[in-house]
Amino acid sequence: MQPSTLTYAPALMANGYEFSGGSGYALPQYPFSPPPELTEQQIRRHEIVIVGAGLAGLTLACALNQYGVRAVLLDEDNTVGVKGASSRGICYAQKTLEIFKRLGIYDRIAAKGVQWSVGRTFAGSDEVYSFDLASASTHNISRQPPFINIQQFYVEGFLVEQLYQAANRTVELRWNNRITGFEQNAEFAALNITTPAGDYRIEATHVIDCSGARSPFRAWVAASVTAKTGDDRWCIADVRFKHPPPVERHTWIEAPFNEGRAVWQHLMADGVWRIDYQMRPDADPEEVSREEVVRTRINGQLGRDVPHDEYDIVWIGPYAYRSECLNQLQHGRVFFVGDAAHVVSPFGARGGNSGVQDADNLAWKLAAVLQGRAGPALLASYHDERHEAATHNVLVTNRTTRFLRPADGAERVFRNAAIRLAKRHAFARQLVTTGRMSTPNVYSRSSVCHSSGGRALQNVALLWADGSTGDMADLLAWTQGHLLLLVFGRLNEKETRQLRELARQTGACCVQVVRKAALAAAKEHVVDSHGHLAGCAGKPRWAIVRPDSYLAASGQQLVDAFLTQAVSSATGAAA
Amino acid sequence: MTSEPNFEDADAFYESLLDAHQGLSREQSESLNARLVLVLANQVGSTQALLACLKVAQETGDETL
Repeated sequence: MQPSTLTYAPALMANGYEFSGGSGYALPQYPFSPPPELTEQQIRRHEIVIVGAGLAGLTLACALNQYGVRAVLLDEDNTVGVKGASSRGICYAQKTLEIFKRLGIYDRIAAKGVQWSVGRTFAGSDEVYSFDLASASTHNISRQPPFINIQQFYVEGFLVEQLYQAANRTVELRWNNRITGFEQNAEFAALNITTPAGDYRIEATHVIDCSGARSPFRAWVAASVTAKTGDDRWCIADVRFKHPPPVERHTWIEAPFNEGRAVWQHLMADGVWRIDYQMRPDADPEEVSREEVVRTRINGQLGRDVPHDEYDIVWIGPYAYRSECLNQLQHGRVFFVGDAAHVVSPFGARGGNSGVQDADNLAWKLAAVLQGRAGPALLASYHDERHEAATHNVLVTNRTTRFLRPADGAERVFRNAAIRLAKRHAFARQLVTTGRMSTPNVYSRSSVCHSSGGRALQNVALLWADGSTGDMADLLAWTQGHLLLLVFGRLNEKETRQLRELARQTGACCVQVVRKAALAAAKEHVVDSHGHLAGCAGKPRWAIVRPDSYLAASGQQLVDAFLTQAVSSATGAAA
Repeated sequence: MTSEPNFEDADAFYESLLDAHQGLSREQSESLNARLVLVLANQVGSTQALLACLKVAQETGDETL
């Protein structure tokens, strides 16, 4: 049975959220088919069961499928998006887009989404500062832009379609399969599942919890959580204007038309603007979400009485945020990924982006262990690396939260001071924050990253041996989950022989990187004409790159014991 | 951070500081000080030095005058 095609025409539909309104979106429906377990007598055991087909679960499923790893993906409903409502994540950062390039959905995201590079921040009626990311040199060596804005359900829909269209699909999608119970022992985990056609039970060697911020697994494994709640309240209005404003990100720290509180204005796909208003902490969510109240706010923002037919309200949704981080991302056979593992405020787009990066981190490790390239120790590094990332994201977003919702007294005095100074002096703009945008996290305490590694390599453009254009993402896809050993510069015969032997013993894919094709000695080589790849790797003689495009280690000597050891350590072999 | 004397002209600075606050309400003084702290912090720059400065200010606040 084929899934219905994606059509996201606006349609009148109710959504499951209290106090929300607007006409919503028509989301795709995917087919439910009764799982074989319903009619079987014996309980099946699956190597990997992924719970939750959101951004994280679908990224993991797509990545595992690309590595040829078998898995079952369970989702409690039969569509993407937030219970048919609207978009949660809207802003996808470069590292995430690079992952999507490798998974094969980037072109669709680029075609559907909106790229922006100009951001302006206002306080009162003054512009505090503006920036143009297109002129920032830090972002421009990747083939992906700094950000693309697109509704989350489009990304999820593209991932689902990518799975359905895969020539050899190893991941089974099970819609309308909801988990109702869980237990685990030394040998396996067992899951109780309910479906429209009946209930069943399955066993799993690894359970990947991608079920989001309300994950039932947290209680089932008695996970300890570090959490912080505040009283900051916001209300989203997704609107479509007949005469759209310029494609720029505008943020007001103190909007005169919102009683001096913050307002965000972002464009997404289909000409839909997300306008997000900071509310009084004691605001009644029902009242602030009433359509007439929303229209009054928009009148205030545009400075006139805007006729109703000048824009449609697609969605209205009030929200509060909190920050939460599990202290352990692995509990026995359960790995926590995405919002199930950590929740942050939306400032800086660190929620969805880190969920995708969690999934990409875990996927290659599961593949390497299940396909015999690594021992189980590699899986433990998931916690090392992604907990460090989550902790960092919590820290950064909490700082922004404190700037945007300062406590009365000194916090507000210092914020006023920073804003006043920033209007005239560049140095103080460093203190003003409306969100520090998601960048790839550094892994400084990972058991499988050497201190010479632990950083992400950007998706730089390369030339293949035959002269055609490619990039790092293609090169990584080509390794099919193996480590990539890049060797920069010329190679003599002895070195070539030693590297060939190393590759044979370890299974790493060895590729020579040269500035000009004429310098290549190895059959497997790429041309890095501008030296961008060498530059972002830190100009080493060799670099070990993992399937998630992180540098595991790098060094200057060919071919020594350190290199040999570094290749084994990258997959968790004991030193 | 240096706790050794470093002012070119301590008396002159102190006088300018007092003059700047003259005639201000408590609130205006408070915000002037906040701006001044941020301006000076940028002059220092170094995280280590800034944290050391904060510590000195915090510790001396504990003592009864």
